[in-house]
Amino acid sequence: MTTGFFTDTTVCIGCKACEVACKEWNGLPDDGFVFSGMSYDNTLSLGASTWRHVSFIERPAAISTNTTGVGDFSWLMMSDVCKHCESAACLEVCPTGSIVRTEFDSVFIQPDICNGCGMCVAACPFGVVDRREDDGRAWKCTFCYDRQKDGFTPACAQACPTESIQFGDLDELKEHARARVEDLHARGLHDAYLYGVDAESTPGTGGLNAFFLLVDEPEVYNLPPDPVSSTKKVGRSWRTMGLAAAGLLVAAIASVAADRR
Amino acid sequence: MSRAEGTTYYDLPVIKEPVWIWAVPAYFYLGGAAGAAAALGSAAQRKSNLRGLVRKCRRIAFAGSLTGAGLLVLDLGRPERFLNMLRVFRPTSAMSMGSWLLATFNGLAGTAVVFDGHGIGEVAGLVAGVAGAPLTGYTGVLLSDTAVPLWQSARSTLPVVFASSGVSAAASLLDLTDLNERERRVVWRFGLAGQAVELAAMTAMEREAHRVESVGRPLKEGLGGSLWKTAKVLTGLSLLLSLVPQSSKRRKLSGVVGSAGAIALRFSVFHAGKASARDPRATFDHQRAGLGAREVV
Repeated sequence: MTTGFFTDTTVCIGCKACEVACKEWNGLPDDGFVFSGMSYDNTLSLGASTWRHVSFIERPAAISTNTTGVGDFSWLMMSDVCKHCESAACLEVCPTGSIVRTEFDSVFIQPDICNGCGMCVAACPFGVVDRREDDGRAWKCTFCYDRQKDGFTPACAQACPTESIQFGDLDELKEHARARVEDLHARGLHDAYLYGVDAESTPGTGGLNAFFLLVDEPEVYNLPPDPVSSTKKVGRSWRTMGLAAAGLLVAAIASVAADRR
Repeated sequence: MSRAEGTTYYDLPVIKEPVWIWAVPAYFYLGGAAGAAAALGSAAQRKSNLRGLVRKCRRIAFAGSLTGAGLLVLDLGRPERFLNMLRVFRPTSAMSMGSWLLATFNGLAGTAVVFDGHGIGEVAGLVAGVAGAPLTGYTGVLLSDTAVPLWQSARSTLPVVFASSGVSAAASLLDLTDLNERERRVVWRFGLAGQAVELAAMTAMEREAHRVESVGRPLKEGLGGSLWKTAKVLTGLSLLLSLVPQSSKRRKLSGVVGSAGAIALRFSVFHAGKASARDPRATFDHQRAGLGAREVV
């Protein structure tokens, strides 16, 4: 069965229960206790030991779904997570076969195989995967593979008090998410749209198994507007490499052959 | 344009900066020099009067690829698991292809050194030359196979820059050794071709990267930009030095300058890429300009 996350940012209240539940269940180390000065966000980004990250955006714009009633100001919050891309760059560039697709269609890094080469870190178009300094291996959201194996909901979705994070069968989630957007539009809240719900939305990754309902441009949430798995583009690079290699051999042969004496 | 134009999330990076250390660009240099040297050696091995050059080429090929492989192991988060690199064969991963290529090349280059003059050594030397050609350029493919806007954007030219610079690097190293007149001429031609193509390819890469201003910027500014300029100047200088009438001293100077240029180039591309990854605008602008998925899907 393909399972997924649908994160509806319009009902996120920024409580960070997902961050805490994820850390607790997965036994993740802290990332230091620093005040960033960036609104309520002291986590800042997803990383090797942060697999859910709540962003806080103080947006000087009137956004129908999230207005505060105080001038042109909107409060946006979003719980970010690994997208478990349909076409996952990290998996495709992994040279050890450590990164695999599970029976739930999620993307999983096998810690007993990973040798910390860092290729997936550079390849992820969302900046999700990172290498843990003291450990040397790459880490990211496992989609609670262990919990799912036993039929449990991932820790973050379980802990979310507003059902901003919804977990379930991917097709059902998509249906539900589309209905939610239609409902919001019907109520005149036209800013709502789905990010990554299908291959049409994010063609470069073939859609995302963890997709989002957003109300502003992706950049506002630190999401790429047109993410792409580099493996879809690298063919041209291989072709020019082939030409260059052929040219190099010709240059070597010619350098020798030009000497007739 | 949208109301979010120019917006970032507190200027925080959108993708992760590559975790690779200095050992990786150092390997790019050594691997490039090794591959190009092997190619020249295999082209020269049918000529009995170039035997000394062939031996030097093979030694550079073997020592370069062995040291390079060591540097790559050093860069791993878990060095003791380096053999996992040969656990799968994955064509979609440039690093997987490169690992197999490097392992094969290193074996061949070693055989060519140890069994010099024997049939097996000659065959290994010949095949190492063929494997050496892609070894110089695949590293450019590897960098393009990432989310880093600069590297992804320069994906047509980067392999050519690295391959031609591999030729310059090999010729510069050979210039540092004592060669007879005949060998000197062969190396001179090889190096000339490498450096001329390298300078042209660098200009082409600048153009490719500068299609979007914020994507190309790290080649102009900061550490990456300074090293890029240094690489250009040194490579140009080395080229000029090899065009004026030759003396042994001038040839060695050209070799030193050329080697420094080839090393600066690898570190420039490396640091410029890191800067590009840190800049969220580079990723956003690149994709909004239609150079993300829209370019291919």
